[in-house]
Amino acid sequence: MNRFHPYLLSAPAAALLVGLLLGPLVLLLRVSLYEPASGRGFFTPGTWTLENFATVLDRYGVRLLAFTTAFGIGVAAVSVSVGYPLAMFIRSLSETARRVAVAGVLLPKLASVLVVVFGLQQLLSAAGPVSQFLVVTGVVNEPVTLSRSLFAAVLAEAYLILPYAVLVLLIQLQRIDPTLEAAARGLGASRWAAFRRVTLPMSLPGMILAGQLGLVWGMGAFLGPMFLGGPEQVTLSVEVYRQAFEYNRWPRAAAGAVVLLVAVGGSLGGYSVFTRRVRGAA
Amino acid sequence: MPNTVRTSPTPGTEPSSATVEAQAWVTVGSVSFRYGAAPVVRDLSFTLGKGGFLTLLGPSGCGKTTLLKLMGGYLIPSAGRIGLKGREITRLPPEKRNTGMVFQNYALFPHLSARRNVSFGLEVRGVSRAICQDRADAILERVGIAPAERDRRPAHLSGGQQQRVALARALIIHPDLLLLDEPFANLDRHLREQLRSELRRLQQETGVTTVMVTHDQEEALAVSDWIGVMNNGRLLQFGTPREVYDRPRTAFVARFLGDANLIDGVLFGHPLGSVVMVRPERCVVGLDAALHRRRWSAQVRSRAFLGPDVVVELESPNRPTIRARYRPLAPHDRRPQLDVGIPDDAAWLIPEADAIP
Repeated sequence: MNRFHPYLLSAPAAALLVGLLLGPLVLLLRVSLYEPASGRGFFTPGTWTLENFATVLDRYGVRLLAFTTAFGIGVAAVSVSVGYPLAMFIRSLSETARRVAVAGVLLPKLASVLVVVFGLQQLLSAAGPVSQFLVVTGVVNEPVTLSRSLFAAVLAEAYLILPYAVLVLLIQLQRIDPTLEAAARGLGASRWAAFRRVTLPMSLPGMILAGQLGLVWGMGAFLGPMFLGGPEQVTLSVEVYRQAFEYNRWPRAAAGAVVLLVAVGGSLGGYSVFTRRVRGAA
Repeated sequence: MPNTVRTSPTPGTEPSSATVEAQAWVTVGSVSFRYGAAPVVRDLSFTLGKGGFLTLLGPSGCGKTTLLKLMGGYLIPSAGRIGLKGREITRLPPEKRNTGMVFQNYALFPHLSARRNVSFGLEVRGVSRAICQDRADAILERVGIAPAERDRRPAHLSGGQQQRVALARALIIHPDLLLLDEPFANLDRHLREQLRSELRRLQQETGVTTVMVTHDQEEALAVSDWIGVMNNGRLLQFGTPREVYDRPRTAFVARFLGDANLIDGVLFGHPLGSVVMVRPERCVVGLDAALHRRRWSAQVRSRAFLGPDVVVELESPNRPTIRARYRPLAPHDRRPQLDVGIPDDAAWLIPEADAIP
């Protein structure tokens, strides 16, 4: 034991990864290639087929895939555009106030995700405070249901990922020397021009990372679309859940999960090409 | 206590303060700044003529950088007014003042090339890209940044190059006032001396009115037309380098600008409690001491070799201890006892006591 091999330090994490991720993934891949169960059980053992993928990638499936990707982009866009001003605000606070604000941003993460989702459901229901407020202020004539919609589903998922987005953006923004903005102003740039020409481009790496988090999170979204989305808001995750638990078509559910995994990987590739172009232009 | 300007009383060879007053390109009138409850700048006033180079000199925490930021619009005074080019700018935001500032850490934009850093001030004024590039290249040429270096980002430039780029960036907008915050603090001695003479040349060529902040008295004496010595948020003295060096108003100023012997004034026939300053290099040592009325023999307590000069500390019973700086005739002067003489014109009676903060 003269030298600790660095790999040894990663052994516990590696064991977890193999046992809880790679192993089940291989299993998933195998299940997606079985024929569906005829009678009892989850599938027909000993069979090999690509039929499940053909069904998952039919016209309806492709539409689901497109919606899932768009949903991910939507969640990313909302979390970054809500998180950025919030991070800018927190950055401007004194050190003590900043600590309190960061704790406040992280607070929702202490509640169970289910609590958050059901809470939002209540908040956006016809009897909920938002609806009541709209009635009282005369924006609408009668109570409206804001849940069971694309808006509610995206909002819920963006809300869940927002703390991470804010943290990532804040860390990036805090790395920018405030003297740089002062220098820009001194050279004749208005507050806005200094932001656009200095702060914004310098915070781009943080925006890109926050967007990436939102994209991956949004594409894998299940609870939001399931409990706050309408009948149209079916993401691949929801579909996988239905195939498995409602129709007992485990091989098809497995195929759906594999497709989702590949789709997320593909989106990340596309995202990195897109962001490289943005950075090149900036 | 009001902290009024004490301008140059010397007519003749040095620029007279009267003409400066008349032009008054920069006016700082009774400016105070408090950070919370703590006063940082106290009731401070001076004026500076067009094209002048003023150095604000003082120990760290004396308020000199705060004063610079007040002039640049990065801070707003608690009281008083600041004027530039005949208009009041006390509350104007930095972008409306047309002052160019070189920050201590240079504050170059890390995501832009040296050239884009320099052209920034023109870009935000809506100048076309081609003209921006031409003017940036012209001024970069002037400060000695080679074409190959102009496309580099600041991280890939040396400290000296960064300093030049920062100066070029501030000068390209033809500022009415150039503000320099310890511009040479992060450079080694050799580079510092080279750059400060370049700065002085550039400043004289462009005629830009300049205010520099430093704690380095040698730097202040070398480049400035005017020196303002600050302590505890107050301006203790404002004058030409020679004036401030030879005729300091207070003991603090005397000590801050180089080495000073502060001697009981009684010895020179002044009243009790007065203080007289004699610069070490004005003291006469050895045989020549016989030429002066005030002379005595002293023990050499310490001897420091400074290259061309030697500084000796001279002790004698019933006499003040004197530091003298002289150029020895023999290379290995080891005499344990020396005569020391103080020429009459080397003794300067300090006219004011140090203000209590």
